[in-house]
Amino acid sequence: MSSLSNLPPRRLGRAAAPLGWLGPAIALIGFAVLWPVYEMFRISFQHYSPDGFLLGSAGFRNYTKLFQDPNFGPIMLRSLLWVGAVVGLTMLVSLGVAQLFNQRFPGRRVARWALIAPWAASVMMTAIIFRWMLDPNTGALNLLLRDLGLLSKLGTSQADWLGRPDAAFAWMIAVAVFVSVPFSTYTILAGLQTVPAEVYEAAEIDGASPSRTYLAVTLPLLRPAILVATLINVMNVFNSFPIIWEMTRGGPGYETNTSTVYMFNLKQNFIGQSASMSVVNFAVIVAMVLVFLRVSNWKKEVA
Amino acid sequence: MKQRLAAAAVLGLSATLALTACGSSSKPSSSSGGSTSGAVAIKLVAADYGTGPANSSQTYWQHVADAFHQANPNITVQVQTIDWNDLSSKVQTMIQNKQYPDILEGLTYAQYVQDGIAYKASDVLDAAALSNINPIFAKAGEVNGTEYGIPWTTSSRAMFYNKKLFTRAGISSPPTTWDQLKADAKAVAQKTGKTGFGLPLGSEEAQAESLLWFLGNGGGLTDASGKYAINSAQNIATYQYLQGLAKSGATEPDPATKNRTDLWQQFAQGDIGMINGSPALIPIIQKAGVLQSSGYGVVAVPGKTGPLTSTVGVADYVVALDKGDHRAAVKSFLDFAYSDQNQLAFDNEYDLLPATTSATNSMSGNPQFAGFVKNLGTATLYPSSQADWSTVLTAIQKQIGTAITGDPRNVLDQIQQSATAGQ
Repeated sequence: MSSLSNLPPRRLGRAAAPLGWLGPAIALIGFAVLWPVYEMFRISFQHYSPDGFLLGSAGFRNYTKLFQDPNFGPIMLRSLLWVGAVVGLTMLVSLGVAQLFNQRFPGRRVARWALIAPWAASVMMTAIIFRWMLDPNTGALNLLLRDLGLLSKLGTSQADWLGRPDAAFAWMIAVAVFVSVPFSTYTILAGLQTVPAEVYEAAEIDGASPSRTYLAVTLPLLRPAILVATLINVMNVFNSFPIIWEMTRGGPGYETNTSTVYMFNLKQNFIGQSASMSVVNFAVIVAMVLVFLRVSNWKKEVA
Repeated sequence: MKQRLAAAAVLGLSATLALTACGSSSKPSSSSGGSTSGAVAIKLVAADYGTGPANSSQTYWQHVADAFHQANPNITVQVQTIDWNDLSSKVQTMIQNKQYPDILEGLTYAQYVQDGIAYKASDVLDAAALSNINPIFAKAGEVNGTEYGIPWTTSSRAMFYNKKLFTRAGISSPPTTWDQLKADAKAVAQKTGKTGFGLPLGSEEAQAESLLWFLGNGGGLTDASGKYAINSAQNIATYQYLQGLAKSGATEPDPATKNRTDLWQQFAQGDIGMINGSPALIPIIQKAGVLQSSGYGVVAVPGKTGPLTSTVGVADYVVALDKGDHRAAVKSFLDFAYSDQNQLAFDNEYDLLPATTSATNSMSGNPQFAGFVKNLGTATLYPSSQADWSTVLTAIQKQIGTAITGDPRNVLDQIQQSATAGQ
C-alpha cells in the first residue's frame, strides 16, 4: 500500500474526494467539540480577574485551590449520589411503565401520548412548577396537607420542602426521575416490541412462571435497550443543570450543588477554577462512560 | 472532474463557516457611532427597582433619556434595566465578554477600578454636582482617595413591626434589646401562629441582614483599620444568638433559603411580626392593603443591649466605564441625570432616599422618611471600596445563611478565608 503523498495528482484527488462530504461534519466537530475542549483546558491553567481580564498563567493553582476547597469533596459525592439515584430509579420505574404500556388496553394510544408530556415540556418550566407546588406557604402540596390535617403534625420546619438540603435534594431527584422516565420508557418499549412472540410461546410450553419468563426471557432480550437508555441517562443526569438551579439555586449554601451547578457558581468570580471544575467533570464523564462500556461489554451487545 | 469541483466547493464552504464562526468572538461592538459622525449612542444598564411592569425602572430611565435626547439631539441613550436577582450575573457576563455598557447603576464598582476600565467621578460629573453628593456615601465611593463610584440612591434600615400582632400577643412596646426581641418574637409565634421575626438570610441580601445583627453586638464586616473581620468573636456570638432564635421557632423555617423580597411581601400581608426593612418596604405595605399606616410601626433596630446607634446605610452606585470615545457624552448625560428633579422623581417612585444633599434636604420634611433620612448621617456602609468586595459579597450571600444550621465559627471562618485570600 502506497501512502497518499506517493499518489499521482489525479488519484490523490479521488482519494481525497470523500473529504468533501465529510468536511462539513469534521469542521463542525472541530469547531463545536474539539475547540471548546481545548479552550477549557487552556483557561483552567490561567488566572483571570472576576471580570474576565487575563492576569497571567496560574500553573496548577486553579486545580490545587479546587481540590482544597472544603465544598469540593461533598459536592463530588453528591454528584455521584445524584446520578446513581436518578438513573437507578428512572430505569426501575421505566421497566414497569414500559411493561404496562406494552399490554393492550383501551386508551393505550392516549396514555402513550400523555407520557410524552414531561419529556416535551421544558425542563426549566417543570422545575419552576414543582418549586411553586412545594412552596411552604402557598404551594399545592402544603395546602393539600393542611386540608387533610397533616400539616400541623409535620411542623413548619418539616413542611418547608426546599428549605432543608436533604428534603430538597430528595425532591429534586424525584423531579429528575419524572422528566427522565418518558425517554427511558420509550426506549424500553421499543425493545419490548422487538421480542418475538415465539420465545414467549416456547417459555409457556416449557411451563415457565411469569416471573421466570420475565427474568430469563424478557430482561436478557431487553439488555441492548436498557444499556442505551442507561448510558444516555447517565450523561444527561450528570450534566443536568436547570432542575437544581431553578428549585434551590444549589442552596442553602452549597449544600445541594452537584459538580455541574458548582461549575456555574464558581464562574461568577473564579473563571479559572470554574474551568478546572469543568475539566474534572469532563474526566468524570469520560471515565464513567468508559467503565460502563467495559462492564456492559458494549461492542458485542449493541454495535 | 465534476467530483473534484464539488469537493473543493464543499471544503471551501466549510472553511468559511469555521472562519466566520471564529470571528464572532470580537471586541466591544463599534456600532455605536463615535465622534466622527457627530451622533453618539451611549448605553446605560441599571437595576430594576420596580415591583412589576407598571413601575419598572425602564420607564423611569427611558423618560430621563428621552428628555436628555431632546436637549442634546446628537446623543442617544440606550436604556436596559435588569431584575435585581439577575443583575450581577448578567453584568458580570457582559464585562467578561467585553460587551460592557458606558454607564452602570446598581452594583459595586471597585473591581472596575482595578480592571482599569472605570472613569474617575470628576471626569464624568460636573464639580458642582459632585460636591452636592452626600459626603458619607461619596467617601464610600472612593478607591485610594479618588472617587469612582457616584452614589445614585441611598437608604437606611430600621425595624418594622406589626401592631395588630403585637396586641394579640400581649406586647405593649416594641423590643430594644435582643432578649426582648426573642421573647416578643416567640410570643407572636405562639399566640398568633404567624412568624415572629422575618430573618431573610437567603442569597438575595444576606449581607444587609447579617451586618445589622453584627452591628448590634459591636461587630461588623471590617475592623477599625478597614480589614475584613467577618469571623470576629462578636460576629460568631451574633450568629450563635441567631441560631438560638431560629431554633426557638421565633423565625420562619430555614432562614438560609428565604429572600428579602418574599419576606417583605409576607410582612405586608400581615403574616410576620417583625422584620428589618428600608423605606422601600412602605409602598409594598401600601400596595398589599392589609396594614393601615397605623397598623405598623418603625423603630430603631434592636441591638444586644440597646437599639443601634449606627444602622446599615446602603447606596447604589453609578460607575462610568471607559469604552474609548464616549466620555463627553457620558458626562453631559450624568450632569443632566443628577438634577434634583430627576433625583426626587426616582426616590419618590421607589421610596428610597436621594444621594444628593440638596434633594435630601427637600425630602427631610416628609414625616414618612424623616427618620430614615436622619439615620443616613450616622450610617455604617459596606466596605465597597475594597477591590475584592464583589467577590466577598458573593461569598457572604451564598454561604452566611448556613451559619444558622451549621457551626457559625466554621462558616464565618470559611468566608473570612475566601475574603482574605485575595489580599
